[in-house]
Parts: sequence; C-alpha cells; structure tokens
Amino acid sequence: MALLSIKNENVIYKVKNKNIHAVNNVSFDIEPQDSLGIVGESGSGKSTLALSMLRLLPKKIAEVSGEVIFEDRNLLTISEDELRDIRWKEISVVFQKSMNSLSPIHKIGSQMSDIYMLHNKTASKAEVKNKMTELLELVNLPPRVYTMYQHELSGGMMQRVSIALSLMHNPKLIIMDEATTALDVITQGQILNEIKELEKRLSIARIMITHDMSVVANTCKKIAVMYAGYLVEFGYVDDVISNPNHPYTRGLLKSFPTLKGERGVLRGISGSLPDLSVQHDGCIFESRCPERSESCHKEKPGTVILENGRMVMCHSAGRR
Amino acid sequence: MARYLRRRILTGILIILVSLVINFMLIHLAPGNPISLLAGKDNPSQEMIDALTEKYGLNDPIHIQFISYVKTLLKGDLGYSIMSSEPVSKLIFEKVGPTLLLALTSILLAVVIGTASGIFAARKRGSLFDVTMNGLSYVFDSTPSFWLGLMLILIFASKLKIFPTAGMVDLRAQHEGIAKAVDILWHLTLPLITVTLIQIPYYFRIARASVIQTMSEDFITTFRAAGMKENKIFKKYIFKNAILPTITVFGINLAYVISGVAIIEIVFAWPGMGRLMMTAISKRDYPLLMGIYLILSVSIAVCMIVVDLIYAVIDPRIRYD
Repeated sequence: MALLSIKNENVIYKVKNKNIHAVNNVSFDIEPQDSLGIVGESGSGKSTLALSMLRLLPKKIAEVSGEVIFEDRNLLTISEDELRDIRWKEISVVFQKSMNSLSPIHKIGSQMSDIYMLHNKTASKAEVKNKMTELLELVNLPPRVYTMYQHELSGGMMQRVSIALSLMHNPKLIIMDEATTALDVITQGQILNEIKELEKRLSIARIMITHDMSVVANTCKKIAVMYAGYLVEFGYVDDVISNPNHPYTRGLLKSFPTLKGERGVLRGISGSLPDLSVQHDGCIFESRCPERSESCHKEKPGTVILENGRMVMCHSAGRR
Repeated sequence: MARYLRRRILTGILIILVSLVINFMLIHLAPGNPISLLAGKDNPSQEMIDALTEKYGLNDPIHIQFISYVKTLLKGDLGYSIMSSEPVSKLIFEKVGPTLLLALTSILLAVVIGTASGIFAARKRGSLFDVTMNGLSYVFDSTPSFWLGLMLILIFASKLKIFPTAGMVDLRAQHEGIAKAVDILWHLTLPLITVTLIQIPYYFRIARASVIQTMSEDFITTFRAAGMKENKIFKKYIFKNAILPTITVFGINLAYVISGVAIIEIVFAWPGMGRLMMTAISKRDYPLLMGIYLILSVSIAVCMIVVDLIYAVIDPRIRYD
C-alpha cells in the first residue's frame, strides 16, 4: 500500500482577479522508503505541490483541491488538530533557504527542544537535551551548536541543523525542498551521502525537490518531472534517464552535461514558461515543443500509463 | 557584552562633549547678548554695559570663555543665571520634575497603546480595526502638536469645562498628600493626551509593519510545519522578533520627546523645562541655557545607552564581542 497518494491535486493562486493554475491535476504514489525526486524549472509548481500537501500555503490566496491520502487520511480535509499531529511526527520538511529556517534571536538548541516538545510533551529537560545532542551528532555537528545562534553557523551547518530537525521524530516521510541547492558541491555531496545513509538506517521515505538532475540521478529511486504545474513524466530514475519519453524530459536532460561518455552538444529549451493565468486548450508544452504536431495545439494530452509504473503526459507517448 | 557596554558608554560621553562644544559656540555666535537686555532700552550708559560685560567675562575670546566654563563645570558648578542671579542647578532642579513627569508618562502610554494596537491590527489585517487605526494614525501623524493641544483646551476646558486650561496645580486650593496628586493628575490629563496622541502613530505603524513582516519570515513556516500552534508561535517567536524595531524607535523618540515637549508645556503653561528654556533663549541667558542643554544631552545619552543595552540583551547579533 502506498504511504502517500496524491490524487488529482490542483492548486490555484488567487491574486488580483487572476487565477494562477500552479498545480494541475497531479497524481502519483509514494511507497514506504521510496525516494522521489521532483524536477522542473523555476515556477513549475514543485514547491507549491510540496507545501500544499501539508496545507502550508496561505489559505487566503491558495485554493487546493483533490486528495492527498497519507495512511488512509486525507490531509486536505482533516481538522487542524489532526493535521498538527501528523506534521513533523509523520511528515517533516527541510526548507529552502535553511539560513532563515530558524528564528535569529533564539538559541538553536532551545528552538529544537521546542519543536521536539510539541510531540513529546512529557519529556524531561535532560532527556530532551540528550536527544538533541544525539541528533546533532547524527548529522556530524558538534554539541556546542546547541547553545549557538543561527548567525554563528555557516550555510552548510545550518543545513545540517535543518536536517537534524526534520529527523527528530523519525518521520515516515521527509520533504526536502531544494535542501542542498545553496551548498557547494563538496558539502552537497557529503550531506547527500549522509541523508542516504540515515534513510536506510531509519527507513524513511523522501521527496526531493530540486533543479539538479544529477542529485536526483544519484540519490533517488523515482523521478517526477513537472512542467507549468503539470506532471509530465513519472517513473523509475533509471528508466526515465535512459529513455526519456516526454519531449520536455528529453530537453531537460540535454541541458545537463555528462561527465562520462562522449562530448555532446549542451542544449537548453528555448522559450519560457507559459502564462499560467490563462487557459490552454492544447498541450501545455506545445509552444516550446520541438516535436509538436497538429493535435498538440487542439487537444490536451491525457496521461498514458506504460510498463513499470511509468506515466507520461504526451500525445506521442509509447508510440516511439 | 562588557566590551559592548564600554563602547556604548564611551560613545555616550563623546556625544555629550561634542554637543557641549557645539551648543556653547552656537549660543555665543547667535546675534544679541544678555548685556543689552540687562542694561535696558532707555538710555543705557556705555559704562554700565562695559562693567556688565566685564563682570560676566564676555570680553574674553570665545575659547577662553569655553575653557573657564568647562573648568567650573568640572567642579560640579553649572554657574549662575545672568537674569535671575540664582544658581542654574537650582533653577533646573525645580523644573526638571514636571518635564520628566509629562514626557516619560506620555512615552510609556504611547509605547504600550501604539504597540499593542499595532500588533492587534497586524494580526487582524484588513479588519475594520486595522483600517480605522491606519487612517487615524495618518491623521494624528500630520497634526501639529500645539494645534491639537489648543483644540483640546478649546473643547474639554473652555467649552465642556471638564479639565483645567493650564498649569500644574490649582493655585487657589492648598492641596496636600493624595488630594495634591489627584490635582496634578487632573492638570496633567490634557497635555498628556496631546503628547501621547502625537506619538502613538509611530509605534502603531512600526509594530504593525514589523509583525506583518515577521509573520512572513521563513522560520515561521518551519514552526507551522512542525505543528506548533499559531498562538505559541506568536507569543514566543513573532513577538520577540517583531519588537526589535520598536525598541529602536523608542530610543530615538525618547530623546526627541524629552526636548520636544517644550512647545506643549508652553501651550498648557506646564511649569517644565520647556518654558525655562524658551525664556533663557529669548533673554540670551548663556549659563542657564548651557545648563539646560547639558542636562538634556546627558539624559538623552543615558536613554540611548539603556536602549542599546536592552536591544543587545534581546538580539544576540548586536553584541559583537
């Protein structure tokens, strides 16, 4: 049974008489201990999708519909109290910009303890402090970080603090929103290895949101490619990377160089994201697609399900 | 922290010294002098003017005058008023109480009312309260304080006869003890309302903007995602982060109000330093004026140091060690 199952999720931002369709009809499943990388260019709805699952988007402007089923409960409809119980204990998040992920004028340790106490109300002070020191050790940080402030740590250290924070209650699912994007490659490599290690040890499922194909290729089992709020391709990383089925995925893969193998031409995808506040009749990628045909302009492509759980949203899917 | 404190105190002393020099020079460079006032308009004799000038040492070059002023100052002597021949320290001592009473009470009231309503408005953004308070804050911000004072006198004192028009005590009644305190409070009400109303908009707007800004900070999302209740997030994290700009404004405003209530004191005939200062300026009473300025700059420097200290205690990023 799937750990998390997203069914026909839509997110619409309502701003200044405009409706921006940030996430459109997205469905996929995550199994226990799965690791899923969500890739796509900026503005493709990756972060919106992740934040909407935990209802963290501002209620006044974001309208979320569809279902997010986590262990038989629909996260979009359960009460605030029930949701608060699931937050962090079952699903935790490592946010973008971890440099600002904690209050600058409170000690890191006291904030960590505060978050710990939310789901372990009876824990004694000494117990909490022990647990925090353990957690810091887990992500290779010295215990003195406990009494330090955010501005005294480097970006990489704060990233580790954020990861320690997310591991606190042994959640079943961690959402990493661009968790390593701001780091240099060496620190990123270290942290990614640590994450993989911890995941195996603590049996955690992970959703990894990133621009970086290589991060997904190295650390994830499955990949979801998003474009303009649509899930255009989904499947096992090995399948998708070796045989991309959607023209956008192909374009995305061509935009990254390979270290091994022949020297190829590095190509981007020309054009930019379409205006998400206007309705598109045909395929959303049609205007930038190098392989477009007559039907792409008129008809919205459906999601084609291929072997091995592969999903592709394209008229020509499976025909090649 | 100790180093931070030392640096703040040294800066404070430096500010006092610099303002002492500037004030001394400015007063003496300003046109007019106390001697022509003392000698009178009718038929002043040159001998008298010369004798008076000599008596007060105004013949000497300005830097010699300054050195001798500092010398007596170092002995703790503020000198004597030229006009009344009384010790400057005694004159100031009599008037400093009412000024502090008016200024400090109004600041405290304005901080509490302004900040509380600002926070409330921010949490209920777009509500009727928020919109009304926003509008009012602009109205009072652009109202001249003396005009507001006069209007309050006109309405509450002249027409409705609820409050007295001027002064600090009822001169015809000889109140003692609690009755005296009540009497002072009675007289204090209108000037206090005036000075407070003028200051509230600053605190309201700073608190409102700061809370709104803090609520959109990334770390708030972290606590929300962790399942912390909105009330707890607010009490423990938003409030402390959002109060920092208020402390800064408080420090600036404190200095401004202590010297700035003068005009309100004149409108309400409040027997504070403001009136003393105005008379001293118009009569070119150099020693008295210097004494008042010195007291003001010392109290402002002390306020600044205290505010900086409070800030450093709350915000660890400030204490550079």
